[in-house]
Amino acid sequence: MNTTVFALTLKEMVRQRRLLLAGLAASLAPVGLALIYRAGDFNDSLDWTATTLLEGIIITVVLPLACLLVGTSAMGSEIEDGTAVYLLSKPLPRRDIIFAKAAAAILVSAAFVLPATALAPLLSLDGADGEGLVAGFFVASALGICAYTMVFVLLSVATSRPLIFGLGYVFIWEGVLGDLFTGTRYLSIRQYCLGIADGIAGVSDRIFQAELNGAVSLVMIVAVIAAATILATRALARFELRAED
Amino acid sequence: MTPTDEAKRLETATVEVKAVSRWYGNVVAVNDISFTLGPGITALLGPNGAGKSTVLHMMAGFLRASKGTVRVLGQPAFGNPDIYAKVGLVPEREAVYPFLSGYEFVLTMARLHGLNDPAAAARRAIQTVDMEAFEKRKMGGYSKGMKQRIKMAAGMVHEPSVLLLDEPLNGTDPTQRLLMMELLREMAARGKTIVVSSHILEEVERLADNIVVIVAGRLAASGDFRSIRRLMTDRPYSFTVRSSDNRGLAVALLADASVFGVELNGDRLTVRTSLFSDFVRAAPRVARSADITLRELIPADESLESVFSYLVAPSTSLRTGR
Repeated sequence: MNTTVFALTLKEMVRQRRLLLAGLAASLAPVGLALIYRAGDFNDSLDWTATTLLEGIIITVVLPLACLLVGTSAMGSEIEDGTAVYLLSKPLPRRDIIFAKAAAAILVSAAFVLPATALAPLLSLDGADGEGLVAGFFVASALGICAYTMVFVLLSVATSRPLIFGLGYVFIWEGVLGDLFTGTRYLSIRQYCLGIADGIAGVSDRIFQAELNGAVSLVMIVAVIAAATILATRALARFELRAED
Repeated sequence: MTPTDEAKRLETATVEVKAVSRWYGNVVAVNDISFTLGPGITALLGPNGAGKSTVLHMMAGFLRASKGTVRVLGQPAFGNPDIYAKVGLVPEREAVYPFLSGYEFVLTMARLHGLNDPAAAARRAIQTVDMEAFEKRKMGGYSKGMKQRIKMAAGMVHEPSVLLLDEPLNGTDPTQRLLMMELLREMAARGKTIVVSSHILEEVERLADNIVVIVAGRLAASGDFRSIRRLMTDRPYSFTVRSSDNRGLAVALLADASVFGVELNGDRLTVRTSLFSDFVRAAPRVARSADITLRELIPADESLESVFSYLVAPSTSLRTGR
């Protein structure tokens, strides 16, 4: 990995106040909701933590949106303002540039999402690990961050409107279609995350059950990460910077 | 051009553009352009929107030619990052990393090039463009001219054999312009190939050994500055004239050898001449001897655009040898 590209990308992202605010919101929202939940009577805490907090809020909303913002800004903002020229006019294998950009984006997304993924359920479960629920979702989130971020890095190299396509993907494909058609669950990062979490956690099926089994999910998510990396590298190798005239 | 000249030129060619076209959807930006360049300074000259940036971007490997081939230092320019070890690029866009200081920026570029001693290379490049005084300041606070100079330092930090500069003299003041020209000439003297795009002839006339004129996506002319200048001045001009007696002046002017057409249009007289300078000298003389007061004499089409479009007019075959 090229550490110069990595450091430059981190510096670029850290100075984007909008991104940091969104990241802060992403990490505070689940924790805040867990605190509100605790304030009431929490008889069904395992059920609430699994389906509402971890599946409904973290895996379905917070994680993809945080990755969308970070993943598209890692490469997209440079392409937009033209500074990508400085990076691309170097004798670097395009794969190295994608690796470094993706590594920086994954690091930032993880910093936004993972602390809350661990802290919020520990709060709502009052410190218990919920029969492996917390550990399962933590690992699933980490892999989910890698997959989503790579997909959004790919979108920002291959399309001119990564944010629009990304939003469409998260809400229409993962959200609406996933609920309407059972077939799309085999092509859904969200479902892979749930499958991995379910595979690790020992929690009863009555409380939480994923549509896919853990092993299939793991294979699929690794395949998505690999495919997105290869496609992004290819797209960057054929990348055209449109002239002004 | 004799065959041996041609062979010699191809041998030293560092940039080869062969039958290149580029279109965006239905819009043709560059239409069947061919030329070869060697060491020295070449100006890509043309009005805004003529396609010179597109040509420069294709040389820099940032655009694929829709047809034809672009080779730099014998290698295909597109999809070949290895060429950047020997090719430098100074883009037109002003965007830089505002959070880096000038020194950090050039140092980063030197590191990305994988240079042995990036710090020393960065210092040397910054010194060359005379930016040491501002190297610690964040680039967000740079003036247009400073950005231009630091971009130049970034583009040449690895001492490329081919340096491509997109409108480098835009926004520079006369002092900086002189410094930059001197710098480019000095690099050219060391055998580097320098390509500079510009839409101002006067800007490049003292800089470039060789000029490639592009108009409306086509190659209009190429050659040394003198031959291009001659093409541009030895051409028919139109003047709009106002005088105390337009009809009388029209008759008198027609007798002069420099005039080959007149047209009366209300209170205006349009005169077509074969040679700019001859006519400007002849008009007052003719008016005086006919006892007519000359009130106004305006060249009708002095814009660069019209000069260029004259060069691509189909009736004139003006491609000069080199």
